[in-house]
Amino acid sequence: MFEGLQMFSEALMGFLNPKNIFDVLWATQLGIIVGMLPGLTATMGVALMTTLTFKMATENAVIILVCMYIGAIYGGSRSAILLNIPGTPANAATAVDGYPLAKQGRAGEAIGISTTGSFLGSVIGMFMLAFFTPLIGNFALKFQSYEFFWLSIFGIVICGNLTAPKDPLKGWIAGFLGLFVSTIGMENMHAFKRFSFGWHALTGGISLLPAMVGAFGFAEIIMVMKFPKYEVVKTKIERVVPRVKDVLKYWKTIIRSGIVGTFIGAVPGVGEDIAAWVSYDLARRSSKHPEEYGKGSIEGLISAETGNNACVAGAMIPVLSLAIPGSAPAAVLLAAMFIHGVRPGPLIMIEFPSFIYQVVAMVLLATTAMLILGLSMVKSLVKVLTIPRQKLMPIVFVLCVVGSFALQARLFDVGVMITFGIIGYYMREMEYPVAPLVLGIILGSILDPNLRRALIISDGSLAPFFTRPISLVVFLITLLTILSKMKWFQRLISSVVQGVKVVFKR
Amino acid sequence: MKESNMARADFVTSIFLTPFGLFILIVSLNMPRFEEHNVNPYSVPGILPAFLGAIITFLGLVLFIRSIRQRGYKLGIGKRAVIGFFRDQSSRRIFLTLIISLLYGLVFLGRIPFYLATGLFVFAFVLIFEYQFKESFASQRKKVLIALIMSILVSGIVTAVFRYVFLVNLP
Repeated sequence: MFEGLQMFSEALMGFLNPKNIFDVLWATQLGIIVGMLPGLTATMGVALMTTLTFKMATENAVIILVCMYIGAIYGGSRSAILLNIPGTPANAATAVDGYPLAKQGRAGEAIGISTTGSFLGSVIGMFMLAFFTPLIGNFALKFQSYEFFWLSIFGIVICGNLTAPKDPLKGWIAGFLGLFVSTIGMENMHAFKRFSFGWHALTGGISLLPAMVGAFGFAEIIMVMKFPKYEVVKTKIERVVPRVKDVLKYWKTIIRSGIVGTFIGAVPGVGEDIAAWVSYDLARRSSKHPEEYGKGSIEGLISAETGNNACVAGAMIPVLSLAIPGSAPAAVLLAAMFIHGVRPGPLIMIEFPSFIYQVVAMVLLATTAMLILGLSMVKSLVKVLTIPRQKLMPIVFVLCVVGSFALQARLFDVGVMITFGIIGYYMREMEYPVAPLVLGIILGSILDPNLRRALIISDGSLAPFFTRPISLVVFLITLLTILSKMKWFQRLISSVVQGVKVVFKR
Repeated sequence: MKESNMARADFVTSIFLTPFGLFILIVSLNMPRFEEHNVNPYSVPGILPAFLGAIITFLGLVLFIRSIRQRGYKLGIGKRAVIGFFRDQSSRRIFLTLIISLLYGLVFLGRIPFYLATGLFVFAFVLIFEYQFKESFASQRKKVLIALIMSILVSGIVTAVFRYVFLVNLP
């Protein structure tokens, strides 16, 4: 505990120098702008920044990425409030109450409340990041190949369930296709080229970053260009800084949304959009004024924004402790850490214990910068939203191209980006979530060696997958996650519950 | 998308997905097992892909059966529907975006200098979506000029910043 505090204060002091503060400020501001602009998502922002910072020192690069991530998730609330178009998917729930507030002439108040909610959400998430990461990391040291196998499958299943709640089948399909994509190229054990069919460029496999830039960047460009223009609400932005009593009034909602957001963030691949919706839904259910939701409820707005920003820190918990991303931007962050030679995962507690607290200090700095920048320069930044999409999108595409090419200097990766952009667009149109696809590409690299290693250790026996205690628990949770979506199972459970109630009433 | 349209879309997707899963399974089962090298049979490269191929086939079949139950096989693709699709403004905008982006990313890059390809791409993109072909050129000179200035600025700034500030390789 005290050792952790000491490492945290050392990390924080280390970052408090003019160069780092300057980096924090510009990266957070850029993140806010990226988040604000429909068509530019947090994932794409972090992915592009990864390619731009890969020649920097590890701490400098990661702090820039964390600032971009936090700034972008917050920044999306601006366009959600003023355009009714969430700047990032994470801010969809923000638009439900933020836009009606803007139409009532309370845009400044809505921006101020969303900024404060995002700040408080990040702070709650930060505390939980500092507390839970070492705990999970230490526990994960007991994991062997069997557990990692089930954890990867669980990641795909839960991510599919939560990102496609209406039709989880599509989420699972996306996830397993992602796992398949990860098997393309040369495998590690025998250097056999899988699914490359003699195409030399494919032997290197499909790199995560170009695929993500395509699925989240180019696909979004196509979606945005589908329609001609968006209308900015014409409203005066007056007081932005909220009154303390206005915020304190909702302390229960803030704490609940912060905790819920962080926990959802920690679930593999699920991400900020789900965190915001779940926080919003819980706030509405426990509200004294649920009828105001959707018509400009401050409580609804603060719950959504607290939830999505708490999720950012939550998504970093499995990144650091298990090397499994909690969200799509966190997946890029994970890839960036590998690029910089930090190996997140259970061994981080042994190899780089101070890195966890460095990340916590980074989150604190980024969150503070977000609060300061979020409450200032509001009027001037709103002008960015008036840039016509046909002028902005070609620049975004150029950045997608440069970002895909930069890491390995291969034109093949530009092709990968474009291909995944078209696939991502098709998936959105057909209501397939993109997040499980990306998570599959990452988890495939964990699944493949662990499945084979487990089978070698057990000499082909499947029994240890179901008899080892942790493995059995993860398997049962995975099975329940799948069954929970089956109608016959839901009917069975409800009849069992009814039966139990009848027995107790007697 | 409407529910009936989604059932049709799911039907088409499942027709591609199920054979694709089978293809993965067959290719995986035919991957080498390196018996001549006396390797452990559980370390062979086809294990995970075969497992995934089987699951994708199964999920594709579930999608297929579900779409059949929802009458998704009644595709209703006629001449009118196809013409309507191509005449739709959103479809046109998507095709235009795709054509310009693909030309830039897959044809021009690597064949002509980056700054030139980028300049041409930005100029074409802005102009295609802003220029009204029904109006006279004289009334739209400003649009052309802005597109030109923008293309020069974007291409120059991106090339300079990425190459000299971020020290990044450019195509």
